[in-house]
Amino acid sequence: MKATCWMGRNSVEVEDVPDPKILNDRDAIVRITSTAICGSDLHLYDGYVPTMKRGDILGHEFMGEVVEVGKGVSNLKSGDRVVVPFPIACGACSMCKRELYSLCENSNPNARIAEKLFGFPTAGIFGYSHLTGGFAGGQAEYARVPFADVGPIRIDDASIPDESVLFLSDVFPTGYMGAELCDIQPGDVVAIWGAGPVGQFAAASAFLLGAERVIVIDRFEYRLRIVHEHTGAETLNYVDVDKVPEALKELTGGRGPDACIDCVGLEAHHHGPTYAYDRVKQALRQESERPIALREAIMSCRSGGTVAIMGVYGGLMDKFPIGALMNRGLTIRTGQCHVQRYLRPLLERILNGEIDPTFIITHKIPLADAPQGYELFKHKQDDCLKVVLKP
Amino acid sequence: MTDTTVRARDKDELARFLGWFSVTLGTAQLTAPRAMCRLVGADDEGAAPLLMRALGLRELTQGLAILARPRPTGWIWSRVAGDGLDLSLLGLTAARNPDRRKRTAFAVLNVLPIAAADFFEGRHLAAKDGRPVPARRIRKAVTIEKTRDEVEQAWVAAEDLRRKVDEAGAEVVIREADGNRGTELAVELVEDPPLGDLGTAAAKLTGRDLATDLADELRRLKQRIETGEIVRSDSTPHGHLLADHLKQRPARPVEEVAS
Repeated sequence: MKATCWMGRNSVEVEDVPDPKILNDRDAIVRITSTAICGSDLHLYDGYVPTMKRGDILGHEFMGEVVEVGKGVSNLKSGDRVVVPFPIACGACSMCKRELYSLCENSNPNARIAEKLFGFPTAGIFGYSHLTGGFAGGQAEYARVPFADVGPIRIDDASIPDESVLFLSDVFPTGYMGAELCDIQPGDVVAIWGAGPVGQFAAASAFLLGAERVIVIDRFEYRLRIVHEHTGAETLNYVDVDKVPEALKELTGGRGPDACIDCVGLEAHHHGPTYAYDRVKQALRQESERPIALREAIMSCRSGGTVAIMGVYGGLMDKFPIGALMNRGLTIRTGQCHVQRYLRPLLERILNGEIDPTFIITHKIPLADAPQGYELFKHKQDDCLKVVLKP
Repeated sequence: MTDTTVRARDKDELARFLGWFSVTLGTAQLTAPRAMCRLVGADDEGAAPLLMRALGLRELTQGLAILARPRPTGWIWSRVAGDGLDLSLLGLTAARNPDRRKRTAFAVLNVLPIAAADFFEGRHLAAKDGRPVPARRIRKAVTIEKTRDEVEQAWVAAEDLRRKVDEAGAEVVIREADGNRGTELAVELVEDPPLGDLGTAAAKLTGRDLATDLADELRRLKQRIETGEIVRSDSTPHGHLLADHLKQRPARPVEEVAS
C-alpha cells in the first residue's frame, strides 16, 4: 500500500510499504477513505518530537471502511464505516474506566520510554513517534487499529460525507475538550491562543458551552477571518499590539478573560526579545518548548480563572510564571484529548446541525501529494488551514 | 503487610557522578595524553604526556573503585588529595609556560568546583556509620483492575514469570488496593550485583537489567489480565522484548510476523 512516511526533519515521502496485518485479536484493519494532516504532525515534521525513526508512517486523523477484524472484535464487521480516535485505549484499565482514554495504561508497548520521560506512561497514539508506542499512522491506504472494539465509532448514515465526521478523530474533540476544561459559566469571556484547527473548534465549542464572548489570538489574518466568520469570535492579531495581556485587559474592562485556552503549543511565534530567547534555547536543546502562548495565557487570565492547555508540549520549559499562577489562584487544566469520551456527543451535535466541522478545510489533495500538503500547511501557503488527504 | 520503607544506599548520586567523572577523565588522559596536555597548557612532548598518563591511571583506578565499593569514603578522600596534586601541577605548568596561562587558568577553574564536590562528598560519606549498605532494594508494583482472586489465579498461571521471580530471590505480595480500587501485585528484591554500580551499568548496557525486566513483565501481566492480550505495534511486531528495545524498527507493517 501507499503510506506517508517520515524521512527525517522536513522530509516526508509517500512510499510503498507492506499492507498491515492483524497482530492482536482485538485489532481491525481499516481501508482509509479520508485522512488529514494535524498541526501536531508539524512538530514531528519540524523534528521537535524525540524517538522518531526514518520510515515511520505518519497520521492520526483518519476514517474509513473496516475490511478485516480480529477474533476478539464483535461489535464491528467488514464493510462498517468508522472514524478512528487518535489515542489507542484498552477500555479496561483504571484510566479508561474513568474515561481518561489518552492515559490508557495498557496501549503503549513502549511504556518504559514514556515513563522515563514523563514519570508515568501515556497511551499509544497512531503515527506519533515511538514514545507513544511506535504504531503506524493513518496517512496511508490502510491502517491497523488496535483495541478496535473500544475506539472507533460507526457512521451508519452513508449520506453524511467523510468531511463532516473526519475531525471527530482529533481536532474537534480536542478543541471541545479545551473549552470544556474551562468550566464555562454564562457570561464568561474566553480567550484562545492560536486560530489553527484546534483553536477554531475551541472557539466554536466555547460558544456551544455558553460563553458570552470569545477572543481568538493569532497573526494570520486569513485564519482570524475564518474563525470570525464561522464562529462569531472576536479576533486579535498579536502583531498589531504591543503586549497581548494588556490588549486583553483593555478588551475586558480591566478584568482579563475568565478562561484562557492555549491551542498553540511548543512552536509558538512572536516578535521581540522573548521569542529570540526561546528560539535560541530551543535550537540549542536547552529547553524543549517555545512556550510564549502559555506564558501569555497565564499572565492574561483573570485572577481565579482557568487556563486550559491543549497545544502540545514535550518536555521542559523556561521562565514559567509560577508566581502569577500561584498568587492569583489560577487553575491549570490540560491533557491529550480523551477522544473516545466525546465521539458520541459531538457526532450528535454534528447531526443536529449545531456545528458543521467542514468549515476548516482549505485543501483536499490526493494522498500521493502529502509532501506538498506538509509544505503548504507548515508555511501557511495559499491560506492553508487544514489539509485533507484522499487515498 | 510489606515493609514499604525505602532504604537509601550510602553512595548517593554525587558519589556516583564523581565515579563516572573519574572514569571518563582518566580514560581521556590515558588514551590521549598529548591532547590533554595541550588542553591544560602543558608541553605535549617530553615528560609531560607521560605524567599525564600516570595521572590518568590514577583517575581511572579511583573512578572504578568508587563505583564498585558500597561506601567509598577513602577513595573519595583520595580524590581530594588528587585534586590538590593536580592544582599544584597546574600551578607549576603556569609558572613554566607563561604564554599559555589562559588555558591553564581555564583548567584550574574546572578543577575547583570538582574539588569542592569531592570534599563535600567525602564529609558526607565520613559521617555515615554502621555497616555499609551495598544493596539496592527494588520494589516493582502494578495495580490491576480485577479482584484479588482473579489476580492470584493469573499469578499462579504465569509460570515463566514466577520462575524468573523465584530465581531472583524476590518476594511477591498480592493485596487489595486502597479504597477497593483493584489489586496490587508487588515484587520486591534486594539487588546486589558484583562490582556495585559497574555491575548495574553492565547489566543495563547488555539489556539484562533485572529491575527493568521485572517492571516490563508486570506491565505485561497486567495487560494480559485486564485486556486479554499484549498489545503489539508495528515497531514491536513480535511483542515487547527487552533486548529489542534499543533497535526498534520503523512504525510500518512488516511482511512476515511470527505469531
